[in-house]
Amino acid sequence: MTWFLLGMAALAIAAVVRLVVPWRAGRPASLALVLAGCAAAGGTALRVLAGGPGVEWSFPTTLPGGPWLLRLDPLAAWFVVPIVIVGACGALFGSGTFARERRSGRVATTEAMMPILLGAMALVVTAQAVVPFLIAWETMAIAGLLLILHEGERVEVRRSALVYLVATHAATLALVAMFALWGSQSPDLTFPSLQASLRARPEWCLLVLPLGLLGFGIKAGMIPLHSWLPGAHSSAPSHVSAVLSGVMIKTGIYGLLRITLMAERVPVWWGWLLLCSGLLSGVLGVLWALAQHDLKRLLAYHSVENIGIILIGMGAGALGTASGQPLLAVLGYGGALLHTLNHALFKSLLFLGSGAVVHATGTREIDSLGGLARRMPWTWATFLIASVAIVGLPPLNGFVSEWTIAQALLAGSEGPASLRVLAISLAGLGLIGALALACFTKVDGVIFLGQPRSESARAAQEAGRGQRVPLVLVSALCLGIGLAPGVALAPALRVVASTAAVSSPPPAGALEPILAGALSVTGLGVALLSIIGLLVLVRRLLLARGRITIDSTWACGYPAVTSRMQYTAASFAAPLLGMFGAASGIVIERRARTVHTRPVDLVLDRAARPLWDRLQHAAGRLRWMQSGRLHWYLLYVLATLAILLGYLAAGGIR
Amino acid sequence: MNAAGLAPVLLLMGLAPLVQGLVHRTRALITGRRGIPLLQLYRDLWKLARKGTVVSRTSSGLFAALPSAVLAAAIGAALLAPLGPGGSVLRFPGDFVAFAGLLALSRYALVLAGFESGSSFEGMGASREVTIATFAEPALFLCLAALALVTGGRDMSSLFGSPMARAPLLAPALILVAGSLFVLLLAETGQVPVDDPTTHLELTMIHEVIVLDLGGPDLGCVLYAASLKLTLLAALIAAVLVPPGPMHLPWMVAGVAAIAVVVGVVAGFSARIRLDRLPQFLTAAVVLASLALALTLR
Repeated sequence: MTWFLLGMAALAIAAVVRLVVPWRAGRPASLALVLAGCAAAGGTALRVLAGGPGVEWSFPTTLPGGPWLLRLDPLAAWFVVPIVIVGACGALFGSGTFARERRSGRVATTEAMMPILLGAMALVVTAQAVVPFLIAWETMAIAGLLLILHEGERVEVRRSALVYLVATHAATLALVAMFALWGSQSPDLTFPSLQASLRARPEWCLLVLPLGLLGFGIKAGMIPLHSWLPGAHSSAPSHVSAVLSGVMIKTGIYGLLRITLMAERVPVWWGWLLLCSGLLSGVLGVLWALAQHDLKRLLAYHSVENIGIILIGMGAGALGTASGQPLLAVLGYGGALLHTLNHALFKSLLFLGSGAVVHATGTREIDSLGGLARRMPWTWATFLIASVAIVGLPPLNGFVSEWTIAQALLAGSEGPASLRVLAISLAGLGLIGALALACFTKVDGVIFLGQPRSESARAAQEAGRGQRVPLVLVSALCLGIGLAPGVALAPALRVVASTAAVSSPPPAGALEPILAGALSVTGLGVALLSIIGLLVLVRRLLLARGRITIDSTWACGYPAVTSRMQYTAASFAAPLLGMFGAASGIVIERRARTVHTRPVDLVLDRAARPLWDRLQHAAGRLRWMQSGRLHWYLLYVLATLAILLGYLAAGGIR
Repeated sequence: MNAAGLAPVLLLMGLAPLVQGLVHRTRALITGRRGIPLLQLYRDLWKLARKGTVVSRTSSGLFAALPSAVLAAAIGAALLAPLGPGGSVLRFPGDFVAFAGLLALSRYALVLAGFESGSSFEGMGASREVTIATFAEPALFLCLAALALVTGGRDMSSLFGSPMARAPLLAPALILVAGSLFVLLLAETGQVPVDDPTTHLELTMIHEVIVLDLGGPDLGCVLYAASLKLTLLAALIAAVLVPPGPMHLPWMVAGVAAIAVVVGVVAGFSARIRLDRLPQFLTAAVVLASLALALTLR
């Protein structure tokens, strides 16, 4: 634990150093401290995951709520690992991006907030008492806000930041309500006491779990609580988006897992609720991603989709716990944990890649890009790896977690008849996968292949070395987990086994075939890559000696082809979106000579905003109360006091 | 790893162009034409392997690997498909996810190869390809789920290991699964009535238009991969329906041939469906598979 706390201290010092020490010395010193802090915390977490003892730290306080407990148990360690990996790579990439923006005060704030955010996230997942948890939670939210506001001079950034602020505080409010109600039943506010009180009175699950779903669900960005996410994540600088989308939303998943595991036997309805929200978020998230024209908004909607996939796994796991099916519980939760890690890796890779693209071209509009593969080969190669991973295809890491979750969905069929229905959710996974494929062929094809659609895309330059190093590092991790899934799968299953999710271990010999299957996945991946290599070699032999002619693409003999005649992202997605009708969130604007499509967020633009407008309109009717004269306000204060005193006199508080 | 399973895989890989020929020939006979020779695809592949190729000026360095990836993914899927009596070459729990994933990977590489040319034709075809796949994928997973519930198996070899014999009472569900897989086959391999491989107008093409700018060995890779996918899906349908026994491999080959003939007959008697009506046709696959699953949930 000492090393972990030292790491946290290093992150805090890094922030101070960045703000206080002048540019030339402060920047590298701060970056080195961030990397050292991440290494220290990550090393401790890896030791816990490798089977080392869980470490604990307790600060006695005089504040209400009992001592401040910090504990790095396997579950916390599992979340700390992606936080430090993505955090370190994000910080590296950010320093590469900002290298040219010298001496700007705003850059200093952004670079100082990064370690604060990382430290706060690591403390969120290790806190074992309500007070430090909420402090870390709020620090994380505020650090996130300051990072989102990096380009605060743009009005749409400020608007997204406001929506984010409202959403994150709604989440905190729900959590405060949850902990207050829950804490009223227990002697103090440490997690072990809360756990004991919930196990003594399981009927409290009915109150605690839905409030938790509201609070943590907003942070995780599950539909319909996701509306803050696309705006916030697309407004931040890309390496910040990588951290926000890759790991910060996972603290919501962590919270849901933690409260689910604190109830000894979760109710069955909780499992179905998680599963159905997962399917909804998964399908709608990817469909709405397909409708986006802005690269970073598109990626942000994909986070909603992947949170859905994680929730499907968690739902299956909770159903396994609830109905006493240990294999289902282990595979479901294990798949969810694995997808949490995998999504952190490939999504941060995608956001970093989009950062390189935006840095090189100055635009996020997919339809103004094109032909970047020839200009930015490193970015293209790593972006392609991440795209194939997020679609869940072998031989990359996204496949491994979807493979685990699919097996969980079938493992239900060994239990009671009601669990056989779980197999139907496989179709949901299939649909999500197919839509994700449509979406990422669109992104890859339109942004990187073909011809540039604008001057800025034509003039694009490859990312600098400071940006390429993190890109290559994260791609190597994606490929590594994809080719050797056992490395990540076995610890994930161990983490689940260490929790209360499984009262009895799965039947003997049930997990061995799956871990052996991980080896077969290795075999398949190696076979696939070697066949590709072999075929490429054969092609080179067949096409030796100048038998490749390079010429322009055939255009039916039409000579004046321009890059604007290429298929656009909007037209590529149109037939598919058309089939989903109004649910696809696309508005088609037809004018005399042009047709434009504009994506809208069905929840934010069609439900939340109109509701808010109506509320504001109704509130306008009370405007006569605000007369602006002091004596009226004094009267209001007096009246309020009188009402409160009357309430007390009537015995309102026992 | 099951090395003995490699022989049937190699056999079906060798027969794949013939299966494609059988489809063409049947269709030609029904529509009153002589048609191309049964072995024409072998000749085409041989010719393409010896030809040079023209590569678009817009394409990137990755282009050289894309047609290879299309074929390699199809071969990988063949390694997972239970073709012989001893099951598939690579067998592990949940390998059906990898099978579906490899077919999707093949599609991914094909669509990117289309985008490499920067031509609108390819973009159009790619868009249609992924649209159709959106219907095919859930249907495929529903079929697999139904088979898993029928057989209680967790890998392709037990899913397709003579389910008829294991659960004779569920034969109606299995016939529905076979029907759904057949619609899938038509969609996935671009047969009439979903797509017309012999059409001459680019604007109406789906699969053919993506490969419009490929030539030489690259085109050969993609054409062979298409015939391999056709053979694999036909083999899976055959595996659902054929009886088990020591005669497994001959049965399997006969089943694949029979299904190729049925595909040809369907192509001969039907016209292409209009593109905007395609979803309704493809929903049939989803509905059939859902019905099958509903029957097995009891």
